Amino acid sequence: MKLNLATAMSNKLALIGGCVTGIVALAVVFGPWLSPYSPTEADFLALLAPPSLSHPLGTDSFGRDVLTRVLYGARISLAVSISGVLAAAVFGVIIGMMAAWRGGLWSAVAMRFCDLLFSFPSFVLALFMMVVLGYGVVNIAIAIALIYMPIFARLSRNMALLVKDEPYVHAAILMGQPTHSVLLREILPNIAAPVFVQIALGVAFGIVIEAGLSFLGLGVQPPNPSLGTIMADGREYFQRAPWVLTLTGMVVSIALLGLNLLSDGLRDVMDPKLRARL
Amino acid sequence: MRELISLLARVAQGAGAILLLALLGAAAVFFAMRAGHGDPALAVLGDMATPETIAAFRLKWQLNDPLLVQFWRWLSGALIGDFGASMVVATGEPIVKLVGSRLPNTLFVGAYALALALVISLIAGTISALRHGKLIDSASTSLAVLGISMPDFWLSYALIYALALGLGIFPSYGFTTPSLSLAGALYSGFLPALAIAAPMAAAFTRILRTALLETLFRDHVRVARSLGHSENFIFLHHVFRNALIPYVTVIGLQVRYLLGGTVVVERIFGVNGVGSLMVDAAFARDYPLVQACALVFLACVLLVNFAVDLICTRLDPRRA
Repeated sequence: MKLNLATAMSNKLALIGGCVTGIVALAVVFGPWLSPYSPTEADFLALLAPPSLSHPLGTDSFGRDVLTRVLYGARISLAVSISGVLAAAVFGVIIGMMAAWRGGLWSAVAMRFCDLLFSFPSFVLALFMMVVLGYGVVNIAIAIALIYMPIFARLSRNMALLVKDEPYVHAAILMGQPTHSVLLREILPNIAAPVFVQIALGVAFGIVIEAGLSFLGLGVQPPNPSLGTIMADGREYFQRAPWVLTLTGMVVSIALLGLNLLSDGLRDVMDPKLRARL
Repeated sequence: MRELISLLARVAQGAGAILLLALLGAAAVFFAMRAGHGDPALAVLGDMATPETIAAFRLKWQLNDPLLVQFWRWLSGALIGDFGASMVVATGEPIVKLVGSRLPNTLFVGAYALALALVISLIAGTISALRHGKLIDSASTSLAVLGISMPDFWLSYALIYALALGLGIFPSYGFTTPSLSLAGALYSGFLPALAIAAPMAAAFTRILRTALLETLFRDHVRVARSLGHSENFIFLHHVFRNALIPYVTVIGLQVRYLLGGTVVVERIFGVNGVGSLMVDAAFARDYPLVQACALVFLACVLLVNFAVDLICTRLDPRRA
């Protein structure tokens, strides 16, 4: 199930999604250096300026360039989301593979814990974790990891159960490979494809969770920009300057669109039948 | 008769599983709260509190007892519907009354959103699958990808901007309780429900389209066609019925996002629901109230998933 670059290129969805995601990633990494404005310094000569050539997304109530703030904010939002989802993937895949491989009490307990996490409404769990852990960037990542871990655990358990009885796994066991090497070298590569698809989807979802929490004021704290805090600012003067909230939201949607198309495309390229198994 | 017995057995089994998960959830919520950072006394009284007031506070809320004793007191109360009293948001008010007065609003908006998502996705998914490859299919699939890419809180403001402030058709803020006026609730709840429903509708449309396309070309459909059944009959009895199984399953999986969505959207539109109550409680660090709200949401998801499970067994007898 190797990712073939040629097939990936021939899949229009994956190509468009990859391009959009790539452009967003480039903008987030290099954009802040190219911008002449500071994300936090106020400019009282340009309060709430509508979009123009010098301020493509307008300015906010402190006269700060919204595009610059979005680029800086997207860094925080993306970092939080990616680290949360990667943590979820690592722990979820370990739990899922162990549950499929050995069964046993330990993994049964871990799977029940995942079931429990999965039964909380996503945002309610995030909100609850903010109260338990306190606000802050790292805690948002932990909340995202807890929300998304059960999905990885279930997915990798189901996939590993399918792979476990393949002849090559039996062959590896008979050849005397130790368990960890069977799991890492025989099973993991064969369940990796859907995990990657979920990671792309999960990062998009994590951005929404972070933005939602910060939007309510329970996530990243001002004056640090994050996509959510910028939109929360924009809400305050939504009637006078709708562009702050609207255009920032549009940027978020474009990033999510890229990630969603990418994961759709990856899914088609790697395994057209995956949908049925999820 | 045998069917009835097996159904009852299934209901009993499901109820047992729900009860177990709810108990585990209660324990997890309680101990996570106690293990978490911050002391409720400090959170409520502020940093300026003197040791005496803190001691009095801890005595009043019985925070000095051993954890297990506190847990048992809370759990045994919760089992008979007594969640204690709110600490900050409405000091001294019984939580059951607070949550009980707001739960109908959340359930109404949630059910409204689910209904909208079902109607939209049933129409769009069916048309898309029957006209696959045509322009209308491309339009609906593109819209669906766009739909899942719009965070609900942003969509809320886009809707307010276009339909409330721009055209002035809907109110931008406020919600009429359904018990006061059903028509008023349907009208004032439309925008919040639509904001929650749009991403759901997009996800449902995609799964229904895929499921329909997968069944459309199965052997049993070809056989039915060769037997001379009408296309309408074949679609309803052989294609749609089979496609419903993954469709309903996905509805069950999405309920956690749907109920999660109510939290932010309630806040934006000023719906007096459990979601906005929980946000208030989170801000005020009203620990018992946060606990109760989290559990109420957990119970909702468990119950909906239980119902979905029963429907799926009915649709797919192989599962029983």
